[in-house]
Amino acid sequence: MASVVRLSCVCRRGFKPLFYQSTLLPRPLAIPHKYQEQPHLLTARIHASQALYGPGSKAASLHWTAERVLSILLLSMGPVAYFNPGPVIDYSLAAALTLHGHWGLGQVLTDYVHGESKIKAAKASLFLLSTVTFAGLCYFNYNDVGICKAVALLWSK
Amino acid sequence: MALLLRTLGRQGICLSRPQYTVLFRHAAPMGTTAKEEMNKFWAKNTRLNRPMSPHITVYKWSVPMMMSITHRGTGVGLSGAISAFALAALVLPGNYPDYLDMIHSLSVGPGLIGLAKFGIAFPVSFHTYNGIRHLLWDIGKGFKIPEVYRTGYTVIGLSIVTSIAVALL
Repeated sequence: MASVVRLSCVCRRGFKPLFYQSTLLPRPLAIPHKYQEQPHLLTARIHASQALYGPGSKAASLHWTAERVLSILLLSMGPVAYFNPGPVIDYSLAAALTLHGHWGLGQVLTDYVHGESKIKAAKASLFLLSTVTFAGLCYFNYNDVGICKAVALLWSK
Repeated sequence: MALLLRTLGRQGICLSRPQYTVLFRHAAPMGTTAKEEMNKFWAKNTRLNRPMSPHITVYKWSVPMMMSITHRGTGVGLSGAISAFALAALVLPGNYPDYLDMIHSLSVGPGLIGLAKFGIAFPVSFHTYNGIRHLLWDIGKGFKIPEVYRTGYTVIGLSIVTSIAVALL
């Protein structure tokens, strides 16, 4: 709550909620002189407990980075799939595509679904969908022609 | 929040020069996550039955806006198509080449086949190229408005050219 008060003293024309944007984080807050007497009280309380997804948790930031790394990985799989088709790239593509889609759809849900129980239900359904998708792709890779061959056959029509 | 404001008012202090020692006695500093703050915001909106402010109906559409929602649309669409394919692989009998032969036997005609190939290639191309544009933004490049438009038109142009080239393969 005091973090809210601190923000309201900076934005004089009313309190604006600080959404989780990386553009806002590096900017230092202009702290009024009174705070310098007891700055440790505030920060000690906030950084004391590292609960999962609590304040001070780096989970969201790491997730963001992982999303970008996966995107770059998926980009590099394109040429490999074209020039070196085979079961290794088939299963890698299955995993990377499913995970990239899972995380992408997760962001869409976060944007449009609100309310604790609705979010929980939506995330559970998404998890089920992604699991079935991965299972189906692996089944296809194992029992049928595989992703690379499938695309090649489709295009030879 | 209201408690804090009333405390300030009682002291006869205007908001521009608040005295914080008073507030530390009444309010225990507690960090909340961005997620918790967001949920509180949405819960309050629902509780007060607030109407949604007009946004996409009143704001002038721009190329960056359209490209952004297209990126999302192609992403959701492609993901759905992959999931549908995976589900079909699990549920339907027979194997993939047989289904391809079945479609081939319908003798659809080269024009429609080319169109279908373009219809598959374009979402993939657009999402891929725009994805690269997103990754460039993530490393901090291309934020100036002219750059946004330039990279945007490049993505659109490349997508069309790639899709046509691939559809003709």
